[in-house]
Formats: sequence, C-alpha cells, structure tokens
Amino acid sequence: MIKEVIENLPGLIHTVEVGATAQQGGTRSKVIKVGGENALPFLFKEGKIPNPPVIAYEIWDIKPADWPQALGYFYSDVWGDPLEWAEKVVKEYKADLLCLKLMGAHPELNRDIDEEAKLVENILKKVNVPLIIIGCGDDARDNLVLPLCSQVAKGERCLFGEVTQDNYKTLTAAVLADGHNIIAQSPIDINIAKQLNILISELGLELNRIVINPTVGALGYGLEYTYSIMERLRLAGLNQDKTVASPFIGFAGQESWRAKEARAPESEFPQWGKEGRRGYVWEMVTAATLLLAGTDILVMRHPQAVEKVKRYIEEFNKDKEGLCLL
Amino acid sequence: MEKLKVTFYPYNQTIEVEKGKTILSAAAAGGIYINSACGGNGICGRCKVILKKGVVSTKPSGMLSVKERENNYYLACLTTVQSDLEVEVPPESRLSFDNLSQEELSSQVKNFSKPTQQSSYKSSTAEAFKNLPLVFKLYLELPPPNLDDHISDLERLYRQIRMYHDIPIMQTGLANIRQLAETLRLADWKVTVTLGKRDGTTEIILIEPYDTSQRNYGLAFDIGTTTICGQLVNLNTKEVLSTKMIYNKQAVFGPDVITRIVYAQQDNGLEKLHQAATEGINEMIQKFIQEKNIDLNDITCILCSGNTTMIHLLLRLNPTYIRKEPYVPVANFIPAISAGEVGIKINPRGLLFCVPSVSSYVGGDAVAGVLACGMDKEKELCLLIDIGTNGELVLGNRDFLISCAASAGPAFEGSGVTSGMRATVGAIQKTRINSFTKKVEFSTIGGLKPCGICGSGYIDILAQMFKAGILDRTGKIINQKDWHIRDTQYGKEFVLVEKQDTAINADIVINEVDIENLKRAKAAIFAGASILLRHMGLDFKDVKKIFIAGGFGNYLDIQSAQIIGLLPDLEKERFIFVGNSSLYGARKILLSCADMDKAKEIACKITYFELSVEPGYMEEYIAALFFPHTDLSRFSNINI
Repeated sequence: MIKEVIENLPGLIHTVEVGATAQQGGTRSKVIKVGGENALPFLFKEGKIPNPPVIAYEIWDIKPADWPQALGYFYSDVWGDPLEWAEKVVKEYKADLLCLKLMGAHPELNRDIDEEAKLVENILKKVNVPLIIIGCGDDARDNLVLPLCSQVAKGERCLFGEVTQDNYKTLTAAVLADGHNIIAQSPIDINIAKQLNILISELGLELNRIVINPTVGALGYGLEYTYSIMERLRLAGLNQDKTVASPFIGFAGQESWRAKEARAPESEFPQWGKEGRRGYVWEMVTAATLLLAGTDILVMRHPQAVEKVKRYIEEFNKDKEGLCLL
Repeated sequence: MEKLKVTFYPYNQTIEVEKGKTILSAAAAGGIYINSACGGNGICGRCKVILKKGVVSTKPSGMLSVKERENNYYLACLTTVQSDLEVEVPPESRLSFDNLSQEELSSQVKNFSKPTQQSSYKSSTAEAFKNLPLVFKLYLELPPPNLDDHISDLERLYRQIRMYHDIPIMQTGLANIRQLAETLRLADWKVTVTLGKRDGTTEIILIEPYDTSQRNYGLAFDIGTTTICGQLVNLNTKEVLSTKMIYNKQAVFGPDVITRIVYAQQDNGLEKLHQAATEGINEMIQKFIQEKNIDLNDITCILCSGNTTMIHLLLRLNPTYIRKEPYVPVANFIPAISAGEVGIKINPRGLLFCVPSVSSYVGGDAVAGVLACGMDKEKELCLLIDIGTNGELVLGNRDFLISCAASAGPAFEGSGVTSGMRATVGAIQKTRINSFTKKVEFSTIGGLKPCGICGSGYIDILAQMFKAGILDRTGKIINQKDWHIRDTQYGKEFVLVEKQDTAINADIVINEVDIENLKRAKAAIFAGASILLRHMGLDFKDVKKIFIAGGFGNYLDIQSAQIIGLLPDLEKERFIFVGNSSLYGARKILLSCADMDKAKEIACKITYFELSVEPGYMEEYIAALFFPHTDLSRFSNINI
C-alpha cells in the first residue's frame, strides 16, 4: 500500500470578487468569487478550495471576422447586435459571467469610443450577470476606450483588461477610481507576471483586485508550457509570495479556435472528421487542462464545450475526496 | 559596380568605394577611424560627419538635432555614398585619447606598487631576482680579454651577468651575437644589457654601448572590448609616468566579442581587427613618448591583459573556434614574443607578454584582476565583479576559483548610451536629484563643465531617478511637471543638464532606450553572479568580500548600485572598489616575474563555468530586469 502524500502549503490565493449586487452598490444579481484556495486545483484533501472555477461566455461588440461556422451556428443571428448576444447567452445558455470584447475600438475598425461606453452601459442594463470587459489590444485606443467604460460601469465591480508591462498605468488608474478589478497579462513568463503585479499594486490597486492572464496556448500549441508556468506561479503563490498569489483567467476559446485542428474544413482533411465537432472538442480539452493548471476563470465560446467543462467542474467538486475521472 | 571617391577631411585622404556603401565603411576601408560604439547600427550617434559636397542617401535618426541636420551633419553609419563626396570628420567623431591622472586612478587595490629609489637591478639574492620586472637592464663593465683570460665575448658577457644574478640558462639572438664583438670594443667594454625573461630562460634582448640602465620603460595595457587603457611605467623606479585611455577602434566592426569574431571570418576581417588594435596601441605609445620625452628604444617591453578574443585579435590568431562548440581558443598561455612581430612599435627587439587566459570567455583580464585583488590568497570567500562589456565574474578564495562571463554590453563604459562617455575629465560621475530645489546636482571628474555621463554617473542617476519617482521599476520614465522630461523617438527623455551649462553645447540626457541598455547590463551581471553562487551551493550572504572592478574613475556609489539591483543587498563594508583591476594586475606582472608565475598559477586554478548552457540563467536574467529585482525580498534592506 502506497502511503498517500498530503502536502500543506502555507500561502493563500487572493479572493477576487467580480460583480456588485444592490447591497454593494451595484446592480448585479450575484457576485462571483474566484480564488481563496490554499491548495493546488482540486486537491481537496490538502486544503480549502472555497470557490470553484467559473466560465465566462465571450461576446463581441461587432461581428467577429474570424469565428468559424461552427460558432456561427449558435451566434450568427446575434452577431453585430451585442445586446441580443448578451441576452442570448444569459437566457439560453445560462451564462454566469460575460466577457465583452470591445474589438470594434481597434484603429482599423475605429468604432466611436462613446458608442463603446454606451454599449457597456446598455449591456449592464440588459443583463444582470457580472461583466468582464476586454479592450481591442491596441494600447493607444484601449487607453481611450477602457477608462470611459470604467466610468460608466462605476460601482459594478467589473473585471477590466488587459494591462501589460508596457501599458498598465492608464487602465489601473481608471479601475482604481471606479472600484473595478484588473487583468494583468504576461507573456508566459513568471517573472514578468510578478513584475506586473508589483507595478500595479504600487499604483495603489490592492492585490485582491488583480487577476493574472498568464497567456495560454491551446492543445498542441504550447499548452504544456502554459501548464508548467501556471503551476509554478501557483506554487509560488501558495508558498507565500503574495505578489503572485492571484487567480488566473484563461482565454481557452480564443486560443482553441485559432488552432488549425479546430478550423480546417473536412474537405481539406477528410480523415479528421467534421470540423464542427473537432472545434468544440479542441476547446473543451484545452479548457479542461487549464482547469487542472489552476485557471479560475475560463473564457469560452462554444456552448456545448462550456456545458461539458461545467460538468467536469461539477464532478470534480462533487468528489471532494480526490480526482474523479469522468 | 560603380566606384566613387570619398575624400575625408581633415585627413585629406581619398578612398574609393562602391556606390551604396556607408560612409562609415568607406572610412574603415581607408583606415580612417570614426567613433562608433554600436558597430554601425545607427544607435549610438557617435559617427557624426559633415557633408561638404556630393549626394548621399540617409535614414532618419533621432541622434541628430535639428540644428545639426541643417548644418549637413549625417550619421556615417546610416548614410550611403551616392556620388563622389567630400566629408569632414568633426573633432567629436575622431578617435581621442584621454589622459588619466594618477589621482583619478587611485584605487584600493592592495599591493599597489609604490615608486622606489632603486636604480638598478644588481642584486645577487634569488628572491630579489624573482621580483625583478619582466625586462630589466644591467650596466656592466667587463674586464677586457687578455692571454690569461681569453674566453669568448659572449661567455665573457654571461660571466659578468652571473656575477650579479644566478641565471643558469641564458640565450641570445644571432643578430645580437653578430654585433657583439664590435659593440664591446667600441664601447670600451662598458655596455648595458637588457635581459628579458621568457618563461624558464633569460634572454639578452639588447646590448647597448655604455650605461643606459637608467632608461628602461615598460607598458602595461588593458585591452578591453570597448576601451583600451595603457600605462607607461619606469621599470627602474616602478613609477607610473602616464595613463591613457581610448575607445577600442575595433568597435566600428562590432560592439561585442561575438560580432567581432564573426567579422574576423570575413575577407581580410581578422587583419583589419588586428590593425585596429595595434594602431590604437601604437598611437597611444607615440603620445606617451612625446609627452614624457622618451626615446622609443628605451621602451623594452609591453604586457597586455585582455579577454581571450582581444588577445587573439591583437596577435592575429584565428578567433573562429572561440565561438563554436566546444569553444576552444588557439592559445591561453602565450609565450613571450617579439613586439615587432605583432606590429607594436617599441624597441624593435622589445618583448610582448600576455597575461594567460583561462578559457574562451574568461581571459587574462580576469586573471590579472584576481591577482590585483589578491583573491587567490584570501581565506574568506570573495567575489570579483568586473563591470565591463564582458562582465567577468570570479568567485573563490585560496582554495578554489571559479569564473564565468556575463555579457553585459558596453553601457557602463559609456558606450551605446546617448550621453555616455568614458570616465575621464568632464564626465558626470556623481549626481543627486534634489526634490526640494528641483535641481539635478552633479559633480564631474576634474570639476569641469560636464561633457557627458560615465558608468558610475549612470548608476547614480538611475538610483536617484528611481528615488525621486521619475523612474518606475521597469525602467520607464514617469512624467513629472517639475522636471525637464520630453518625448523623443527613443521614448521619454530626462534632461539632466541643459545645453548652456555643458561643455559640449548639447543637452545631457538619459532616455528610455539608454535605461533599457543599462538595465540589461545590470541584469546580466547580477544574474551571472547569482547563478555562479547557486552553482556552488552558496548565497550572496556567504561572500565576505566583493571586489568591484570597472572603468569608473575613482568613484562608485555602492548604495546606488544596490538600489538599481546591480550589486547585492549586503553591508557596505563588504564591497571594495578596485577600479581597473585588469590594468593594475597587468602592471604588477610587468614589474615582477614572481607575479607572472602567480598569474599562470591563477589561470590554471580558475575553473570556467559556462553560463549560456545553464538552464536557470535566462530566468534569473528576466527576474533581474526590474528595479531592483523581481524578487524584492532579496533587496529588503534597500530603503528609498
């Protein structure tokens, strides 16, 4: 009989709260808590894991140019109408959390910045789940758009992103003033993740308002590297390095649907089978692996993949004695 | 290909080049040296030239001011020849020598040789003989031969020498023997012999009529990747007569050893690099003899300390295999050779010695440094950090020595940074940012109006900017209304000294690209030291003495270096600033054969540790790319 090894780690991951109810000065129906554990993912015997991972549905302000038909099957009726899109995922797919990507703000599309702020305001009126708001990735535009959105969402305790080592000051200041949380993105590098957290916290934002995006790769595209970086970060956090003890957000949908294996049509690779099914399996496997690496918030696209991963989470949590393989 | 003519003033030299070549490469082809620290990448802005006539094509550069552009200034490395040209090389772009006073070079290196009153080397004890310089002169009055005493001229000379020193093996070149009979008789049997020590043997390298023993000079050189430092020493009195420094002319072919090795593999590349080294040294020697009114023939030896690549290039040895696995140099222990053979102009029979190297990337400069600090005799654990382009690190004590090279780049030598300069007169070496008066206070070497910033000045400035909240932990400049901060194409720029208060009629500044270079340099050195210690199962706190070497003049603020994370967070008392330890070591060896033997011992004793194959190095480096460090707990005593 091999003796079971139980390891108790001294640190604690910060608890980040996304969304504010009326009681807390917002209008959300619930608050989503992530983090707060003192053990590695799903190792219930080693410590407390109070908050299970959550999944956010990714929605866009514009019609996404590169989402394949497998996703269009579910969303093409609401593409270009983000309010309808938001309502659809909340009502039909029972989304707990939304991740709104303001891609239209990109200089190539150049959507009006006031319009983007108005959109955030309207989505907050239309649905009552907590909100993650992500910029287009262009620093200059994000620095204009996101502070405005932060302002109109004041009190709702959203999760705003993303800041990087080269561009963190503007959004951090806005988020600090309006009571939101922030996503700190680092390029699969534990040192830079830590440096960015230090920089943000030195601007006055508490560490329990930071979520780390360690940057992830999809299955077959660096997932194992992602995994080891996340595990090392989490171990450092659980060994009392407070500057890296942040929950993780993982963009599983975005990464998986970039993979050739998820997108290539059956006509090109007949032996691979139907692309629709392949894509969602790819997203599901990627997301499930990220859960094992410690991801607290998954951002996903395909409703069936979301359903499957939700079941994983439920099963894992049901069996608090250890890992339950489905 | 169309050939065009480029005439360079004030040299009045015309060089033929192919259309489309840069002005910098045209100059280099003709042996005209234009300053360039970045190796022609358009980064350093040192190769400014003035176009007098002709058509060129150039790329934009922020290194030229609007006024300079109006006055037809161009960067030689970014400007290509499109027609016949006339180009002037302004004084600031010409290679210049810097004199260093003794005071500036005073350092805490132990066993600093003091001038002695000893005027000749006539002593019979074995101990004294070991402590003679590598080359020494003896004045001899030989008894003329007669029928009773009729041994040969050469044996007579040996016999006389052995009356003073017990030298079992002596040798003499044929040329000297050929002239011997005449010289002895013309000089009435009164001659001066110059004896040079070549490993186990002693050679008569020169026989001069009458007494010239009072005039015996030697040169100690530190040949760095970025700067060359030379010292003229009176070998009789051990007195340093002059010290000079120039940028290494090889910099036009690349800023670091790797790019130079690559260049050496090109057509004629090795020859050009060799020429650049010897020319720089020869020009410095000319300055020395003019300044001190010395006859070139009285300089009898030169000792060179340098990294392995620099010594290869100096001797025109093929450096190719230094760069290729398994990284093997042609030679680590270079025997004494004739300086003339290398192209160094001293006495034609003078000898050239090199400090032995350890490996491809740890050279004689590190060995000389260890010797200068006396690390090899220390009981306690010591660390020698050379804050130079190659960033040699040596860890150990009398029981063991281990070394690695953390390629840091030339930023701390004032190269590749906008207002950078060597640690010479006019360089800002100390600063304080006064938050009350909102002024940048500074002091320069020599107390003159500032011309630029040297390494120690940069260390101070970064620490001060950080303390004043002008610099964030990543090295970005934070806009603050009280200070003169402006946007440039190199990111934000902090103006330290306004144009009107400088000696160069240009603002003295530091920009974000400079800071990035300095940050990388400090990270490479700190990460190298951390990994070296970790490899030995040790920690910074185990190190009792840290010797800091580098071309910093006479000042380095340890606390500033700790604030930026260049040096570890340890008590100030553990740090010993030793200045240019390579040059000091070189001089020690020049002045004592015993030290040459010691240098050989040290070179054999040092174990080389290859950083580049160490898996943890890159991560340690990234962690150090932060002010002071990503792991703030390692700098917990630093209060800012």
